[in-house]
Amino acid sequence: MSPSVPKAAPVAGAVVAASVDASDPGERAPAQTVALVLAALLGAVALNLHHTAIWCAPLALAVAAWRARNWRTRPKLPGLALRTAAVILLAGAAVLHYRSGGSMGAAASLLVVCATLKLSETSSRRDWLVVLSAALFLLLAAVLDEQSFWRLPLYAVELWLLCSGLYALGAGRDAPSPATLLMSSGRSLAAALPLAVVLFLFFPRLPGAFWAVPNPNQAVTGLGNELDPGSITQLTASSEPAMRVRFAGALPPLRQRYWRGPVLHDFDGSIWFRGPPNLSAPAPLQYGGTRYQYEISLEPNEHRVLLAMDVPTARPQGLDSVWTYDYQLISRTPLLHPVSYQLTSYSEHRDPAMLSPVERELDLDLRREGHRNPRSAQLAQQLRASADSDAAYVSAVLDYLRKGGFSYTLDPPALGPDSIDDLLFRTRLGFCGHYASAFAMLMRAGGVPAHVVTGYLGGEWNRFGDYLLVRQSAAHAWDEVWLEGRGWVRVDPTAVVSPSSLSDQLAGLLPGIPGGAGRPITATWLLSSAQAWQAANAWWQDRVVGFNFTRQLSLLEQLDLGSMQWRALVWVVAAAGALWLALMAWAQRPRAGRSADALGRAWRDLERKLELSVAARAPHEGPLAFAERVGRLRPELGASIRSLARRYARLRYGPAASAAELAQFRNAVRAWRPRLRRPRAPPRR
Amino acid sequence: MRSSTRFPFLSDPRAAGARALATWARKRQGEDALPLLLRPRRVYILPTRSGVAAGSLLFVMLLAGLNYNNSLALLLCFMLSGVAIVSMYECHRMLVGLKIEAGHVEPSFAGRGGELTLQFANDDSRTRARLAVRCGPCAVTRFALPPAAVQVVRVCYPGLTRGRTRLPRLELSSDAPLGLFRVWCWLHLPLEALVYPAPVGQRPLPPMSGPGRSGRQRTSQSGEEDWAWLRPFREGDTPRNVAWKAYARGGPLLVSHYEAPCGAHRLLDFEPLQDLSLEQRLSQLTQWVLDCEQRGASYRLVLPGRKVPQRAGAAQRRVCLEALALYPP
Repeated sequence: MSPSVPKAAPVAGAVVAASVDASDPGERAPAQTVALVLAALLGAVALNLHHTAIWCAPLALAVAAWRARNWRTRPKLPGLALRTAAVILLAGAAVLHYRSGGSMGAAASLLVVCATLKLSETSSRRDWLVVLSAALFLLLAAVLDEQSFWRLPLYAVELWLLCSGLYALGAGRDAPSPATLLMSSGRSLAAALPLAVVLFLFFPRLPGAFWAVPNPNQAVTGLGNELDPGSITQLTASSEPAMRVRFAGALPPLRQRYWRGPVLHDFDGSIWFRGPPNLSAPAPLQYGGTRYQYEISLEPNEHRVLLAMDVPTARPQGLDSVWTYDYQLISRTPLLHPVSYQLTSYSEHRDPAMLSPVERELDLDLRREGHRNPRSAQLAQQLRASADSDAAYVSAVLDYLRKGGFSYTLDPPALGPDSIDDLLFRTRLGFCGHYASAFAMLMRAGGVPAHVVTGYLGGEWNRFGDYLLVRQSAAHAWDEVWLEGRGWVRVDPTAVVSPSSLSDQLAGLLPGIPGGAGRPITATWLLSSAQAWQAANAWWQDRVVGFNFTRQLSLLEQLDLGSMQWRALVWVVAAAGALWLALMAWAQRPRAGRSADALGRAWRDLERKLELSVAARAPHEGPLAFAERVGRLRPELGASIRSLARRYARLRYGPAASAAELAQFRNAVRAWRPRLRRPRAPPRR
Repeated sequence: MRSSTRFPFLSDPRAAGARALATWARKRQGEDALPLLLRPRRVYILPTRSGVAAGSLLFVMLLAGLNYNNSLALLLCFMLSGVAIVSMYECHRMLVGLKIEAGHVEPSFAGRGGELTLQFANDDSRTRARLAVRCGPCAVTRFALPPAAVQVVRVCYPGLTRGRTRLPRLELSSDAPLGLFRVWCWLHLPLEALVYPAPVGQRPLPPMSGPGRSGRQRTSQSGEEDWAWLRPFREGDTPRNVAWKAYARGGPLLVSHYEAPCGAHRLLDFEPLQDLSLEQRLSQLTQWVLDCEQRGASYRLVLPGRKVPQRAGAAQRRVCLEALALYPP
């Protein structure tokens, strides 16, 4: 044996005959394994609390507690009929949860049922592996459903638990302590992180989906498909973010920050609805004024409308969307997750063409209204008669609203069936929805095509993330009227009724609308920490959750690889993957280890001192024989090495040595030095 | 099937494939010598069944993530894939650099199988976990090697033919740490087992003979030795001769000692067994050796061309059995 190879002393304590074991697949899992797997399962169930059926968590908890109590034995199960009934009952209940919890909730509930039923009969390692896989899929279900920033640490901890469970199951009967398992799985996860990041950035993404699952029960707060003056009230109570806007270059002035959403054409006297789904393509516009380029990260909403600042110049790239005749951008796929898209808008635009007869008829239509609101129609006739143009009529109506004693409130009194009449002549109290509705009705009654536009107004500037945050509470409604030669012109009657409330909202000083339940701004540090949290959230939503096909392309362009398209992705993934594999191979190379046997280590130190200068111990040689040989080779070392060898033999083979004796021996070895005799040079002649 | 005799791989393609693989590995790796350091070149690794299952689960996860363009699901999938690949390296590390320092094969009887011991040394800083050694179709021995440790492991080997017989190749494997991959290597160690003839035969023991036979009639008709005295138990005494009754009464562990008359012994002769075949003769002689040994009798063995003088005890047994194993010399 070459002396450079470190040898471990074949000492008595280390010679153990291993047991013969033929029944490996059915081997029992030890206590720490069971504990880890149960913890991982319960963690996964807890992460799915928000969408699983209400009985899922108690069921899982009860079965896990019952299993933990007698983990050692294979539990006695009830008869086949009872078991089948339980399976059918629970699975049926989970599937029925589809109505309230959506497909993902039902799937997660079903997974909980599977895991708990399997848990009730686990005995072998393979059974526990099945339970752990179910927990893994529960984590996947949670991740697919909820991607909030604050859940990230929870997901990370759960993943860690799951991996530790995997390591525990992999180790079989002689699983180490949970701390060791957590350590080794943590090490693996840390090693996997760079690969995961590279793959995340460069693994080719899909521009669309292979298949889409309709999700009718998704309850998303946001703008509705209809405007019932009153629905806006609920929105203003919500401070959830609706979208974030990042500008390349200059920010638009406050008055330009109208985020255009669903356009409502149909009016039945009190409620506005979206019009017929498809007409012609949008007419080309002439854009002018300042150009704004921006990127919107839109939270999920149910109406599929991709919001934009006023009317954008084109459809966004990378998203499957259509541009309707009334300039709405509508996504073809449901917006179940945040999406990001880039748009360009101008501060001014005009449509020199004529309004098509179909659209004109649509936006003048009051037939569904019947003969309600007679006084309003009469008012419209009066004002129209005194105005000599459409524009003058618009000004006259705005003038009427300004001077008519109207005021703004978020808590308006209830309106009767003739809602517009009630608002204009009786209550004179309302919010944006009421005034936008009344104004559009008056316009139509006066022969000017008009429709209601819903969307958001303003936004808060976040200085940490350099973006504009638009909350649900910034929901707003306004009108667009057709003026010959100019096209659709935005008119916001609420601005006339209550200019102060609007300017406050525009400035982003107050959330919501005055009188609403806004957050009081107490301290600047609180504000800035809240903003920092929002910025982190936004970064997460934008850069991580919202990372998609388009983002990947722009990332490639930033790296000057844009022209290569997907081939660049393949190359980057291959190169980075190869590098990572090489690093792993290097990290996993065998390394000289430290024996757990302190006495053996001390003796090994002694041998090392003699290896090069005197002799190396032969594999067959015991310590005493080796000492004898060294004594013969170097008589001056004989006495000391023999005494050390005897001490070693006594400690090793004699009665159990105390720690102090061991330390003494170690120190003696450390202090012992074979005095090196230099080979004398032959005398010169 | 008619073709199966001409093309054996058609009747049992699995076994034929395994045989071809074994031949290929033997040719590729050549003969091993002890001490043996396992180098990466000869350490093979493949995913296990659960590894393949985990791979398909990860693929499903990837599809779900791509389809919903769900970044977090993709990240989860990539993290788990990373962990799986790390576990592949860790699994490979379970065997690479492992040292087999020495091996010793205990003799066995033909067709019965025996044990060999192997000394493994782990110089690595990590525990080599879930190691399993197997020799041919025998039961697997499982063990683990802590960091910088040496361990002696007993392994069963299958029944072999009489003589000095080469052991079938050993398979050393591990599926640590996750069970997703299995790493293994084949060892063609220069280990030979001394295989005695199978102890089979119904013939009665030859009667006592020798100088004391006629003088003192202390032996019975069947040629049994006489009970002489009780002596203290020594390591290696057969449990059959232990005086259990005395032990049960609370006394020390004593062993009945039988003694043949002075100079009396049994002659185990090859010649008179002419009606049996060679192997049957050797088997009968082996059975007699064991019987004599059990009684503590002294005996001598006569084979054509080899004579073992009269003695008793473990050494005599070993010499005789060895002579029988290696007959003809």
